[in-house]
Amino acid sequence: MTAAYRPGPDAGVTVSDDGQCVYVAHLPGGPIVVLEGAAALIWVEATTEPATGWVARVAEAFGQSEEVIAADVAAFVADLGARDLLVTAPTEAPGTPG
Amino acid sequence: MATHEATEAPAAGATVPLEVRIGFAHACLQWIADRCGADLLHVKGAALDPTLVPGRGFSDADVLARPEHVRMLLDELRHHGWELINSFAYGSSFEHSATLRHSDFGLLDLHRIYPGTGPTPGRAFDTLWAERTTRVLGGVECAVPSRDAQAALLLLHAARGGSDPKAAHDVDWVWTTADQARRARILDWVERLDAGLGFSVITGTLDDHRDDPAYDLWRVASRGGTRMDEWRARVRAAHGLRAKLTVASRSVLVNVEHLTIVRGRPVTRREIVAEFFGRPARGLREQVARRARGSRATGEREQ
Repeated sequence: MTAAYRPGPDAGVTVSDDGQCVYVAHLPGGPIVVLEGAAALIWVEATTEPATGWVARVAEAFGQSEEVIAADVAAFVADLGARDLLVTAPTEAPGTPG
Repeated sequence: MATHEATEAPAAGATVPLEVRIGFAHACLQWIADRCGADLLHVKGAALDPTLVPGRGFSDADVLARPEHVRMLLDELRHHGWELINSFAYGSSFEHSATLRHSDFGLLDLHRIYPGTGPTPGRAFDTLWAERTTRVLGGVECAVPSRDAQAALLLLHAARGGSDPKAAHDVDWVWTTADQARRARILDWVERLDAGLGFSVITGTLDDHRDDPAYDLWRVASRGGTRMDEWRARVRAAHGLRAKLTVASRSVLVNVEHLTIVRGRPVTRREIVAEFFGRPARGLREQVARRARGSRATGEREQ
Protein backbone atom coordinates (compact mmCIF):
# COMPACT_ATOMS: atom_id res chain seq x y z
CA MET A 1 0.00 0.00 0.00
CA THR A 2 1.36 3.44 -0.86
CA ALA A 3 0.40 7.07 -0.45
CA ALA A 4 -0.66 9.20 -3.42
CA TYR A 5 2.38 11.47 -3.11
CA ARG A 6 5.69 11.58 -1.34
CA PRO A 7 8.14 14.39 -0.54
CA GLY A 8 10.43 15.36 -3.41
CA PRO A 9 13.92 13.84 -3.38
CA ASP A 10 15.39 17.16 -2.25
CA ALA A 11 12.78 17.99 0.36
CA GLY A 12 13.20 17.73 4.11
CA VAL A 13 9.99 17.51 6.12
CA THR A 14 9.05 18.06 9.75
CA VAL A 15 5.49 17.86 11.07
CA SER A 16 4.75 19.72 14.30
CA ASP A 17 3.78 17.59 17.28
CA ASP A 18 0.17 18.79 17.11
CA GLY A 19 -0.02 18.13 13.36
CA GLN A 20 -1.13 21.71 12.69
CA CYS A 21 2.04 22.73 10.83
CA VAL A 22 4.19 21.06 8.23
CA TYR A 23 7.63 22.51 7.54
CA VAL A 24 9.17 21.59 4.21
CA ALA A 25 12.73 22.59 3.37
CA HIS A 26 14.32 22.70 -0.03
CA LEU A 27 17.62 20.87 0.43
CA PRO A 28 20.33 21.80 0.55
CA GLY A 29 19.88 25.54 0.28
CA GLY A 30 16.39 26.35 1.60
CA PRO A 31 14.02 28.07 1.87
CA ILE A 32 11.70 26.52 4.41
CA VAL A 33 8.05 26.47 3.39
CA VAL A 34 5.47 26.51 6.17
CA LEU A 35 2.14 24.78 5.59
CA GLU A 36 -0.55 25.62 8.10
CA GLY A 37 -4.14 24.53 8.69
CA ALA A 38 -5.77 23.23 5.52
CA ALA A 39 -2.42 23.20 3.69
CA ALA A 40 -0.90 21.03 6.42
CA LEU A 41 -3.86 18.66 6.34
CA ILE A 42 -3.64 18.25 2.57
CA TRP A 43 0.10 17.49 2.81
CA VAL A 44 -0.43 14.91 5.53
CA GLU A 45 -3.27 13.13 3.74
CA ALA A 46 -1.55 13.26 0.35
CA THR A 47 1.53 11.59 1.82
CA THR A 48 -0.34 9.09 3.99
CA GLU A 49 -1.42 5.71 2.70
CA PRO A 50 -3.65 4.55 1.21
CA ALA A 51 -3.63 6.66 -1.93
CA THR A 52 -7.17 5.68 -2.67
CA GLY A 53 -9.64 8.16 -1.22
CA TRP A 54 -7.11 10.67 0.08
CA VAL A 55 -9.02 13.69 -1.27
CA ALA A 56 -12.21 12.29 0.30
CA ARG A 57 -10.38 12.16 3.64
CA VAL A 58 -9.47 15.84 3.31
CA ALA A 59 -13.07 16.68 2.40
CA GLU A 60 -14.38 14.76 5.37
CA ALA A 61 -12.01 16.59 7.72
CA PHE A 62 -13.44 19.92 6.55
CA GLY A 63 -17.04 18.76 6.41
CA GLN A 64 -17.24 19.48 2.69
CA SER A 65 -18.08 17.35 -0.29
CA GLU A 66 -15.17 16.07 -2.36
CA GLU A 67 -16.54 17.85 -5.42
CA VAL A 68 -16.40 21.23 -3.67
CA ILE A 69 -12.73 21.02 -2.64
CA ALA A 70 -11.22 18.85 -5.38
CA ALA A 71 -10.17 21.68 -7.71
CA ASP A 72 -8.51 23.69 -4.95
CA VAL A 73 -6.75 20.64 -3.60
CA ALA A 74 -5.48 19.73 -7.07
CA ALA A 75 -4.21 23.27 -7.63
CA PHE A 76 -2.43 23.28 -4.29
CA VAL A 77 -0.77 19.92 -4.93
CA ALA A 78 0.28 21.14 -8.39
CA ASP A 79 1.88 24.20 -6.76
CA LEU A 80 3.87 22.01 -4.37
CA GLY A 81 4.85 19.83 -7.32
CA ALA A 82 6.07 22.86 -9.25
CA ARG A 83 8.29 23.70 -6.28
CA ASP A 84 9.66 20.11 -6.34
CA LEU A 85 8.43 19.61 -2.81
CA LEU A 86 5.91 16.87 -3.63
CA VAL A 87 6.06 14.14 -6.26
CA THR A 88 3.64 11.43 -7.27
CA ALA A 89 4.41 8.21 -5.46
CA PRO A 90 5.14 5.24 -7.71
CA THR A 91 2.21 2.87 -7.97
CA GLU A 92 2.75 -0.66 -6.77
CA ALA A 93 3.01 -3.44 -9.26
CA PRO A 94 0.06 -5.86 -9.10
CA GLY A 95 0.69 -8.57 -6.57
CA THR A 96 3.14 -6.51 -4.52
CA PRO A 97 2.58 -7.25 -0.86
CA GLY A 98 1.00 -4.28 0.84
CA MET B 1 -4.21 28.15 1.31
CA ALA B 2 -1.74 28.93 4.13
CA THR B 3 1.62 28.41 2.52
CA HIS B 4 4.47 30.68 3.53
CA GLU B 5 8.11 30.72 2.70
CA ALA B 6 9.72 31.23 6.07
CA THR B 7 12.39 33.42 4.56
CA GLU B 8 9.77 35.95 3.57
CA ALA B 9 9.80 37.98 6.75
CA PRO B 10 6.46 39.79 6.34
CA ALA B 11 4.39 36.59 6.22
CA ALA B 12 2.54 36.67 9.54
CA GLY B 13 2.58 33.33 11.31
CA ALA B 14 5.30 31.89 9.10
CA THR B 15 7.73 31.50 11.95
CA VAL B 16 9.81 28.37 12.12
CA PRO B 17 10.75 27.04 15.57
CA LEU B 18 14.48 26.89 16.23
CA GLU B 19 14.46 23.12 16.74
CA VAL B 20 12.84 22.69 13.31
CA ARG B 21 15.51 24.86 11.67
CA ILE B 22 18.24 22.89 13.40
CA GLY B 23 16.67 19.61 12.29
CA PHE B 24 16.88 20.91 8.73
CA ALA B 25 20.51 21.92 9.28
CA HIS B 26 21.25 18.26 10.03
CA ALA B 27 19.18 17.18 7.02
CA CYS B 28 21.08 19.64 4.83
CA LEU B 29 24.45 18.33 6.03
CA GLN B 30 23.43 14.74 5.38
CA TRP B 31 22.13 15.68 1.92
CA ILE B 32 25.46 17.27 1.08
CA ALA B 33 27.51 14.43 2.61
CA ASP B 34 25.54 11.80 0.69
CA ARG B 35 26.18 13.56 -2.59
CA CYS B 36 29.85 14.38 -2.13
CA GLY B 37 30.74 11.05 -0.53
CA ALA B 38 31.72 12.41 2.88
CA ASP B 39 31.30 10.45 6.10
CA LEU B 40 29.83 12.35 9.00
CA LEU B 41 28.14 11.63 12.30
CA HIS B 42 25.47 13.86 13.78
CA VAL B 43 26.19 14.42 17.46
CA LYS B 44 24.52 16.11 20.45
CA GLY B 45 21.55 18.46 20.12
CA ALA B 46 18.75 17.25 17.89
CA ALA B 47 20.76 14.12 17.08
CA LEU B 48 20.98 13.03 20.71
CA ASP B 49 18.96 9.97 21.68
CA PRO B 50 16.01 11.65 23.46
CA THR B 51 16.00 9.03 26.21
CA LEU B 52 19.51 10.02 27.38
CA VAL B 53 18.52 13.45 28.77
CA PRO B 54 14.77 13.98 28.27
CA GLY B 55 13.81 17.52 27.26
CA ARG B 56 17.38 18.68 26.67
CA GLY B 57 17.39 21.88 24.62
CA PHE B 58 19.81 22.84 21.86
CA SER B 59 20.66 25.91 19.86
CA ASP B 60 22.77 24.67 16.95
CA ALA B 61 23.60 21.57 14.94
CA ASP B 62 26.78 19.61 15.64
CA VAL B 63 28.35 17.16 13.23
CA LEU B 64 31.61 15.24 13.39
CA ALA B 65 33.22 14.65 10.01
CA ARG B 66 35.81 12.08 9.02
CA PRO B 67 38.96 14.23 9.31
CA GLU B 68 40.07 13.77 5.72
CA HIS B 69 36.62 14.81 4.48
CA VAL B 70 36.48 18.08 6.40
CA ARG B 71 38.00 20.27 3.68
CA MET B 72 35.66 18.86 1.04
CA LEU B 73 32.64 19.42 3.30
CA LEU B 74 33.66 22.99 4.06
CA ASP B 75 33.94 23.73 0.34
CA GLU B 76 30.54 22.14 -0.37
CA LEU B 77 28.88 23.96 2.52
CA ARG B 78 30.06 27.30 1.20
CA HIS B 79 28.51 26.49 -2.18
CA HIS B 80 25.16 25.89 -0.51
CA GLY B 81 24.70 29.08 1.45
CA TRP B 82 26.70 28.32 4.59
CA GLU B 83 28.93 31.16 5.73
CA LEU B 84 32.02 30.44 7.84
CA ILE B 85 31.91 32.60 10.96
CA ASN B 86 34.61 30.95 13.07
CA SER B 87 37.39 28.72 11.81
CA PHE B 88 38.91 25.75 13.63
CA ALA B 89 41.92 27.64 14.95
CA TYR B 90 39.74 30.19 16.69
CA GLY B 91 36.74 28.03 17.63
CA SER B 92 37.88 26.97 21.10
CA SER B 93 41.00 26.06 23.02
CA PHE B 94 40.61 22.53 21.63
CA GLU B 95 40.56 23.92 18.05
CA HIS B 96 38.02 21.22 17.29
CA SER B 97 35.21 22.86 15.34
CA ALA B 98 34.35 25.51 12.82
CA THR B 99 31.10 27.42 13.08
CA LEU B 100 28.98 28.17 10.04
CA ARG B 101 25.70 29.99 9.62
CA HIS B 102 22.88 29.57 7.13
CA SER B 103 20.10 32.11 6.69
CA ASP B 104 17.39 29.43 6.94
CA PHE B 105 18.95 26.66 8.99
CA GLY B 106 20.85 28.61 11.64
CA LEU B 107 24.17 27.67 13.20
CA LEU B 108 26.29 24.61 12.60
CA ASP B 109 29.40 23.37 14.37
CA LEU B 110 31.47 21.22 12.04
CA HIS B 111 33.83 19.14 14.19
CA ARG B 112 37.07 17.73 12.85
CA ILE B 113 37.87 16.28 16.28
CA TYR B 114 35.63 15.43 19.19
CA PRO B 115 37.58 16.85 22.16
CA GLY B 116 38.91 14.14 24.42
CA THR B 117 38.69 11.28 21.93
CA GLY B 118 41.62 9.55 20.28
CA PRO B 119 44.17 8.20 19.93
CA THR B 120 43.99 10.13 16.66
CA PRO B 121 40.99 11.98 15.22
CA GLY B 122 40.80 9.45 12.38
CA ARG B 123 40.82 6.41 14.64
CA ALA B 124 38.28 7.96 16.99
CA PHE B 125 35.99 8.59 14.03
CA ASP B 126 36.47 5.01 12.79
CA THR B 127 35.57 3.65 16.23
CA LEU B 128 32.35 5.66 16.34
CA TRP B 129 31.54 5.06 12.67
CA ALA B 130 31.86 1.27 13.01
CA GLU B 131 28.83 1.12 15.33
CA ARG B 132 26.77 3.97 13.94
CA THR B 133 23.03 3.88 13.76
CA THR B 134 20.55 6.31 12.19
CA ARG B 135 18.05 8.90 13.31
CA VAL B 136 15.62 10.84 11.12
CA LEU B 137 16.29 14.59 11.37
CA GLY B 138 14.39 17.07 9.23
CA GLY B 139 12.94 14.14 7.30
CA VAL B 140 16.35 12.75 6.32
CA GLU B 141 18.00 9.63 7.74
CA CYS B 142 21.19 10.79 9.46
CA ALA B 143 24.10 8.74 10.80
CA VAL B 144 24.55 8.99 14.58
CA PRO B 145 26.80 7.17 17.07
CA SER B 146 25.36 4.28 19.05
CA ARG B 147 23.39 5.24 22.17
CA ASP B 148 26.16 4.33 24.63
CA ALA B 149 28.75 6.13 22.50
CA GLN B 150 26.46 9.19 22.55
CA ALA B 151 26.40 9.00 26.35
CA ALA B 152 30.22 8.96 26.48
CA LEU B 153 30.44 11.89 24.04
CA LEU B 154 27.88 13.91 25.97
CA LEU B 155 29.85 13.41 29.19
CA LEU B 156 33.08 14.47 27.49
CA HIS B 157 31.25 17.60 26.37
CA ALA B 158 29.99 18.20 29.91
CA ALA B 159 33.56 17.77 31.17
CA ARG B 160 34.45 20.98 29.31
CA GLY B 161 31.38 22.76 30.62
CA GLY B 162 32.84 24.15 33.82
CA SER B 163 30.04 25.44 36.03
CA ASP B 164 27.43 25.38 33.25
CA PRO B 165 24.16 24.09 34.81
CA LYS B 166 23.28 22.28 31.59
CA ALA B 167 26.54 20.31 31.80
CA ALA B 168 25.82 19.43 35.44
CA HIS B 169 22.32 18.30 34.45
CA ASP B 170 23.76 16.09 31.71
CA VAL B 171 26.19 14.48 34.15
CA ASP B 172 23.35 13.87 36.62
CA TRP B 173 21.18 12.17 34.03
CA VAL B 174 23.78 10.22 32.13
CA TRP B 175 26.31 9.29 34.81
CA THR B 176 25.39 10.04 38.42
CA THR B 177 22.05 8.25 38.29
CA ALA B 178 23.25 5.46 35.97
CA ASP B 179 23.35 1.92 37.27
CA GLN B 180 26.52 -0.17 37.19
CA ALA B 181 25.66 -1.91 33.93
CA ARG B 182 25.09 1.38 32.14
CA ARG B 183 28.26 2.89 33.60
CA ALA B 184 30.21 -0.14 32.43
CA ARG B 185 28.93 0.32 28.88
CA ILE B 186 29.88 4.02 28.94
CA LEU B 187 33.33 3.23 30.36
CA ASP B 188 33.81 0.69 27.59
CA TRP B 189 33.32 3.50 25.07
CA VAL B 190 35.64 5.78 27.08
CA GLU B 191 38.33 3.13 26.76
CA ARG B 192 37.69 2.47 23.09
CA LEU B 193 37.85 6.20 22.40
CA ASP B 194 41.03 6.64 24.45
CA ALA B 195 39.13 9.28 26.39
CA GLY B 196 40.46 8.66 29.88
CA LEU B 197 41.90 12.15 30.40
CA GLY B 198 38.74 14.08 29.55
CA PHE B 199 36.53 11.58 31.33
CA SER B 200 38.61 11.92 34.50
CA VAL B 201 36.87 15.29 34.94
CA ILE B 202 33.58 13.40 35.34
CA THR B 203 35.04 10.94 37.84
CA GLY B 204 36.89 13.69 39.75
CA THR B 205 40.32 12.21 39.03
CA LEU B 206 41.71 14.83 36.64
CA ASP B 207 44.64 15.66 38.91
CA ASP B 208 45.93 12.10 38.47
CA HIS B 209 46.87 13.21 34.94
CA ARG B 210 49.05 16.25 35.77
CA ASP B 211 51.87 14.97 33.56
CA ASP B 212 49.69 14.75 30.48
CA PRO B 213 50.43 17.64 28.04
CA ALA B 214 46.68 18.17 27.64
CA TYR B 215 46.02 18.23 31.41
CA ASP B 216 45.98 22.03 31.56
CA LEU B 217 43.48 22.23 28.68
CA TRP B 218 41.02 20.13 30.66
CA ARG B 219 41.81 21.87 33.93
CA VAL B 220 41.07 25.29 32.45
CA ALA B 221 38.02 24.03 30.55
CA SER B 222 36.52 22.33 33.60
CA ARG B 223 37.55 24.70 36.37
CA GLY B 224 38.00 28.00 34.56
CA GLY B 225 40.99 30.27 34.09
CA THR B 226 42.16 33.48 32.50
CA ARG B 227 42.70 34.00 28.77
CA MET B 228 46.42 33.70 29.52
CA ASP B 229 45.88 30.35 31.29
CA GLU B 230 43.94 29.14 28.27
CA TRP B 231 46.64 30.07 25.75
CA ARG B 232 49.35 28.62 27.97
CA ALA B 233 47.39 25.36 28.09
CA ARG B 234 46.98 25.38 24.31
CA VAL B 235 50.72 25.85 23.80
CA ARG B 236 51.50 23.04 26.25
CA ALA B 237 49.07 20.67 24.54
CA ALA B 238 50.39 21.36 21.03
CA HIS B 239 52.69 18.61 19.75
CA GLY B 240 56.21 19.70 18.81
CA LEU B 241 57.98 23.04 18.79
CA ARG B 242 56.59 24.14 15.44
CA ALA B 243 53.00 23.54 16.55
CA LYS B 244 53.64 25.28 19.86
CA LEU B 245 55.00 28.35 18.07
CA THR B 246 52.02 28.38 15.72
CA VAL B 247 49.59 28.33 18.65
CA ALA B 248 51.58 30.97 20.49
CA SER B 249 51.62 33.30 17.50
CA ARG B 250 47.88 32.81 17.01
CA SER B 251 47.26 33.97 20.57
CA VAL B 252 48.07 37.53 19.60
CA LEU B 253 46.59 37.56 16.10
CA VAL B 254 43.13 38.95 15.69
CA ASN B 255 40.29 36.61 14.78
CA VAL B 256 38.81 38.78 12.04
CA GLU B 257 35.98 36.27 11.46
CA HIS B 258 34.86 36.53 15.07
CA LEU B 259 35.30 40.27 15.19
CA THR B 260 33.08 40.60 12.12
CA ILE B 261 30.32 38.70 13.92
CA VAL B 262 30.71 40.76 17.08
CA ARG B 263 30.56 44.01 15.14
CA GLY B 264 27.83 42.78 12.81
CA ARG B 265 29.63 44.19 9.76
CA PRO B 266 33.00 43.92 7.99
CA VAL B 267 35.69 45.28 10.27
CA THR B 268 38.06 48.06 9.32
CA ARG B 269 41.85 47.88 9.40
CA ARG B 270 41.78 50.34 12.30
CA GLU B 271 39.53 48.01 14.35
CA ILE B 272 41.77 45.02 13.62
CA VAL B 273 44.79 46.98 14.85
CA ALA B 274 42.87 48.08 17.96
CA GLU B 275 41.85 44.47 18.67
CA PHE B 276 45.42 43.27 18.11
CA PHE B 277 46.66 45.46 20.93
CA GLY B 278 43.49 44.99 22.99
CA ARG B 279 43.65 41.20 23.29
CA PRO B 280 47.03 40.89 25.01
CA ALA B 281 46.05 43.84 27.17
CA ARG B 282 42.84 42.07 28.19
CA GLY B 283 44.79 38.90 28.94
CA LEU B 284 47.21 40.92 31.05
CA ARG B 285 44.40 42.69 32.90
CA GLU B 286 42.72 39.36 33.69
CA GLN B 287 46.02 37.96 34.94
CA VAL B 288 46.71 41.03 37.05
CA ALA B 289 43.20 40.96 38.48
CA ARG B 290 43.53 37.29 39.33
CA ARG B 291 46.89 37.85 41.02
CA ALA B 292 45.46 40.77 42.93
CA ARG B 293 42.57 38.61 44.10
CA GLY B 294 45.06 35.88 45.05
CA SER B 295 47.19 38.34 47.04
CA ARG B 296 44.14 39.67 48.83
CA ALA B 297 43.00 36.16 49.68
CA THR B 298 46.50 35.26 50.94
CA GLY B 299 46.63 38.48 52.94
CA GLU B 300 43.24 37.75 54.45
CA ARG B 301 44.32 34.25 55.36
CA GLU B 302 47.52 35.59 56.97
CA GLN B 303 45.62 38.10 59.08
